[in-house]
Amino acid sequence: MRSGRRMLLKSALAATFAPAVVSAQGKARVVVIGGGFGGATAARTLKALQPALDVTLVEPNPVYTSCPFSNSVLANLREIDRQQFGYAGIKAAGVTVAQTSATAVDAEAKSVTLADGNKLSYDRLVMTPGIDFNWGAISGYDEAAAQKMPHAWKAGAQTVLLRRQLQAMEDGGLVVMSAPPNPFRCPPGPYERASLIAYWLKIWKPKSKLLLLDAKDAFSKQRLFQNGWAELYPGMIEWVPLSQGGKVTSVDPATLTLTTEFASHKAAVANVIPPQRAGAIAAQAGVADRTGWCPVEPVAFESTLRPNIHVLGDAAIMGGMPKSAFAANAQAKVCAAALVRLLAGDKPQEPILINTCYSLLAADYGISIAGVYRPDKGQLTDIPGAGGTSPLVAVGGLRGQEALYASSWFRTITAETFG
Amino acid sequence: MVRSLLSGLAGIALLAGPVSAADAPPGASSCTGCHAPKKVADSVIPRIAGRKAEDIVTFMREYRSGAWPSSVMGRIAKGFDDRQTEAIAAWFAAQPE
Repeated sequence: MRSGRRMLLKSALAATFAPAVVSAQGKARVVVIGGGFGGATAARTLKALQPALDVTLVEPNPVYTSCPFSNSVLANLREIDRQQFGYAGIKAAGVTVAQTSATAVDAEAKSVTLADGNKLSYDRLVMTPGIDFNWGAISGYDEAAAQKMPHAWKAGAQTVLLRRQLQAMEDGGLVVMSAPPNPFRCPPGPYERASLIAYWLKIWKPKSKLLLLDAKDAFSKQRLFQNGWAELYPGMIEWVPLSQGGKVTSVDPATLTLTTEFASHKAAVANVIPPQRAGAIAAQAGVADRTGWCPVEPVAFESTLRPNIHVLGDAAIMGGMPKSAFAANAQAKVCAAALVRLLAGDKPQEPILINTCYSLLAADYGISIAGVYRPDKGQLTDIPGAGGTSPLVAVGGLRGQEALYASSWFRTITAETFG
Repeated sequence: MVRSLLSGLAGIALLAGPVSAADAPPGASSCTGCHAPKKVADSVIPRIAGRKAEDIVTFMREYRSGAWPSSVMGRIAKGFDDRQTEAIAAWFAAQPE
């Protein structure tokens, strides 16, 4: 009895001296939808910065399969299990992990409905739903067609399927890739993929070729890629830009045929990377605009369409910042710090963000692009004079060094994201 | 040694106000995407947590001017002025090594 009263007194005292974030209406609640590089980082960082917060991460998959370095899996340079990360580190950080999917967001009621029937209320919601595909944008390309002509643009079973198809292909077969229009996840990704498939073909199927049909006339790190292809894989990769009939308008999965405005191409292995938009829950929540992506302000990444909902990573429109894992991780850390301030009644500080993306053209040949960004006129904008790509002429073993930096980056960012 | 480190930390805390991760200066949180806050096996990218602030500032200036050759760091350092660089350096210097 006496000790019970003492405990009551103690907790009353604790409440008096607790920070604003706790005393408002019990613990402040943040729900994070999506456990990729953005969401997992946001959840972990929120708990690290403010242990008093109640943070729930909603993610249906028990294991995350990383897209960065999944092109190396296609080229047999690594196994898919090295791409996979569980959520034990996130749980150990004090985050509640709800292993289910979010089916609805009610921005008015500030609540999230889960597939398991539960409802979570929040003070602030962080949405990192990643991408979904615009099925049907290419006539004939739907989820069933992706079993014949894999996209492999969400890493996992699709990555393994495409690798198996490449390995089963006869030497001399034609690999046809289709690259999407902007914006899409990982701007240099299709070109790294073409490079690493060529790397593998050169060793195992040297009579084979790769045709890269593109819905664009220009792409990320273009001159570096094209110079590298000429140097490493002469005559093996043919890139067809939009203006020369590169845009795939329909496919026939039964015959592995890709049809552009100009011609039809029959493939031995076909990799169709379809046009994209923000993950479906974004549209349901009302945070996606007519483009299919999510407009946000550039300081705390709060939706400009719905209050108290923050969107970051691939799903968000981030001005000059590309849709990359590095960017999602950087945005998540900025968002978490801003949320801690907002929930304590303070103003978030103006951020500066960095992006760095490495691409491999071979196991020991890496190139990079970097940028530094700050809010300007309502969006994240490149700081002039900063950023850019690796030099076109490499001296002192730079390409090998950047390949080493790429794998070091992967180890660091996955440890920082998943613990 | 320990004492001078402690007084150094206190000095930074006084200058910059409360040093908490939430108050990391603009740009600092992006650095840990490559420069691991905790030791990571098999990384060739140097850690910067707990390094001397003046060393970090010197490196960033040399990267920015091109006096010290680099891959991405020259391109990144150009996005920060002296004052911003010094704030980031002081913050990393105050983090556990």
